[in-house]
Amino acid sequence: MTATVRIAQLYPATLGFTGDRGNVRALRVRLEHAGATVEFFPVAIGDELPDGLDIIIIGNGPLSAIRSVHTDLLARGDSIRAFAASGGALLAIGAGAELLSRGITTLDGELIEGLGVFDLDVVRTRDRKVGYIVVDTSVGTVLGFEDHASEWTFSDPTLGFGRVVSGRGSFAVSATAGETARGELVRAGNAFASNVQGPLLPLNPNLVREILTAVLARRELVLDLDRNVESLDSHAAGARATIEALVHGKGFNTIQL
Amino acid sequence: MMSKTPQARSAGLRYVFPVLAGKLARFATRLRGGGSAFPGYLTNRLAPTLLPTLADQFGYGVVFVLGSNGKTTTTHMISEVLRAHGLRVFTNPTGANLPQGVTSALLADATLTGRIRADVAVLEVDEGYAADLADQLSPAVILSLNVQVDQLYRFYETERVADMMLEASKRANAHVVVNRDDPYLSKIDVDAMPAPVTFFGVAPEIVAAAAHGLANAADTRSGNAGIQARDAYAEVRSVQGRDIDVHVGGVDTQVRLPARGLHYAADAAAALAVASHVLGGAFSADSAADGFARMAPAYGRGEVIPLRGDPAGEQVEFVMFKNAPSLQMNLDALDGTPEHSLIAIDEGTPDVSWLYDVDFDALQSVDVVTGEKAYQLALALEHAGVRIGTVEPDMEKAVALMREFPKTTAGRQTWFVNYELMMIGRRILGHGDQEVARR
Ligand SMILES: [Zn+2]
Repeated sequence: MTATVRIAQLYPATLGFTGDRGNVRALRVRLEHAGATVEFFPVAIGDELPDGLDIIIIGNGPLSAIRSVHTDLLARGDSIRAFAASGGALLAIGAGAELLSRGITTLDGELIEGLGVFDLDVVRTRDRKVGYIVVDTSVGTVLGFEDHASEWTFSDPTLGFGRVVSGRGSFAVSATAGETARGELVRAGNAFASNVQGPLLPLNPNLVREILTAVLARRELVLDLDRNVESLDSHAAGARATIEALVHGKGFNTIQL
Repeated sequence: MMSKTPQARSAGLRYVFPVLAGKLARFATRLRGGGSAFPGYLTNRLAPTLLPTLADQFGYGVVFVLGSNGKTTTTHMISEVLRAHGLRVFTNPTGANLPQGVTSALLADATLTGRIRADVAVLEVDEGYAADLADQLSPAVILSLNVQVDQLYRFYETERVADMMLEASKRANAHVVVNRDDPYLSKIDVDAMPAPVTFFGVAPEIVAAAAHGLANAADTRSGNAGIQARDAYAEVRSVQGRDIDVHVGGVDTQVRLPARGLHYAADAAAALAVASHVLGGAFSADSAADGFARMAPAYGRGEVIPLRGDPAGEQVEFVMFKNAPSLQMNLDALDGTPEHSLIAIDEGTPDVSWLYDVDFDALQSVDVVTGEKAYQLALALEHAGVRIGTVEPDMEKAVALMREFPKTTAGRQTWFVNYELMMIGRRILGHGDQEVARR
């Protein structure tokens, strides 16, 4: 009997600007290598959100894309919040993460209401954060590329999932001696939000494993996630080593515009 | 139509010192092998009115070429078509599309007294500087090729790029030319343009038959993601490999593209629309075809180079890309899966998230993945289901691997490369030191 895992990506044509399809592929290919059958549902404006989902992905796009999906997304608020509250796995990147926050304050001071899946507030900033980012998390080093102009704030410190080792990050975290350090990635249950692209999941097999382990546990499925992943892992390791060498070697972590 | 006649009036003795200083600075930076921005900067400081004075001397005016993809190719096409009609054309070297680069190139071409020798200037201009440079050079024609998802780290929101092009277009004094098949550009506010607006495009059934259309960015702003219907003054009506048929203001024009690809066909329609406007009644379909025929294949656009130094032996076809749309259009234009292929990206492209937006179905397998970003590239290819032979970040070693393969039946390998690695690849194959200039 094969396990079937159901993945939906919200607004792939509108919020899929920075290779967000890669995050879907990373989950999908590793599930398939482990012997699962994957059903994938792209969800556009007006489409019904399928039942029995295991994973929801929402990706990145410009402010105009946020506005264009806003009404449709707000109407799905209850079902998405219920999905996350039931331990469903969710990954939101960039604009997608902002839409699932409590709200976005734009540069003009306008407040765009969010779904509140993540108990955080987003403020768009003039300052752009662009460059490689390396983050220390409980599942190991997470790395990729950040490219955003936003600052996240939240009161519950347990929401923060990672501490920035190199790069700028999305939010401040408290550090020793009254100093502030930077943080990146938030986690609420099995819902993750981040401004890390690259895309995030292909570059970070440990994070894929963390998400898929949660998916399997919720469904009481048993799959061997180490099966047939040598090549994926070795290419990811090579890519990670290159980024680490660039970040630590040349002191390159921010693009000067 | 442009009806000004070519004129040749000198800008005067007061420019001798600034021009000379700029030329000397240019000579000095070249000896050092340095960049070309400083001479232009110096001259601008010494004589701020020099640039408008130089630009004003082109009898047929100045043409700006803007766009996310295809600026270099289209600038070359327009230049060659105008040359084939007997005009002397000034153009900026590939990539020198920032204001200082344009100034520097103009200086190199001017006489000491600030006199311009060419009839027309065809300039590729970076979108981010187009409006400012237009204020100085008062272009007659501004062509906007396309708005594609590109350089997000620089522009962030794609529609900003469209706005930059359209804002610059307000400064054209004779013609605004835009792509009818581009969702943002097709929605140009014609009434807001002081100059008349004309459109170029590819016949709808040809676009519909292409795997990914023309890969222009969807409009996320207006509520209509697609294009606004417009009549095209220049329209591609048929494509047979490199041979295309374009209707230009009612004139049936057959030209041969420098390389396969629907994006080149669209660029050709744009170039013909511009040439037709610059030349007015003097435009001839035969001369236009001659111009295209004279186009030497530019680096990375249909050019072939011997793999092992033997001109009669196996060749390497370089296919250059810089972002998802250009890579996609080149993959879509492939004539079957290459027998042996190499693909390469270096650190000049820091964020390669966009690789996951490309459909690699046309490729099936790649023999060697190389460049500083080889592993990120391999990771994307593997996630797309493409089989990978070897990952070898060192381009020199990668070329050695490619030379070990038995000869292909087509006598040709295909190398997909970004600009920097194309230059390195050429050098390794023994075709290094020619300057990258159009002519
Ligand atoms: Zn030429």
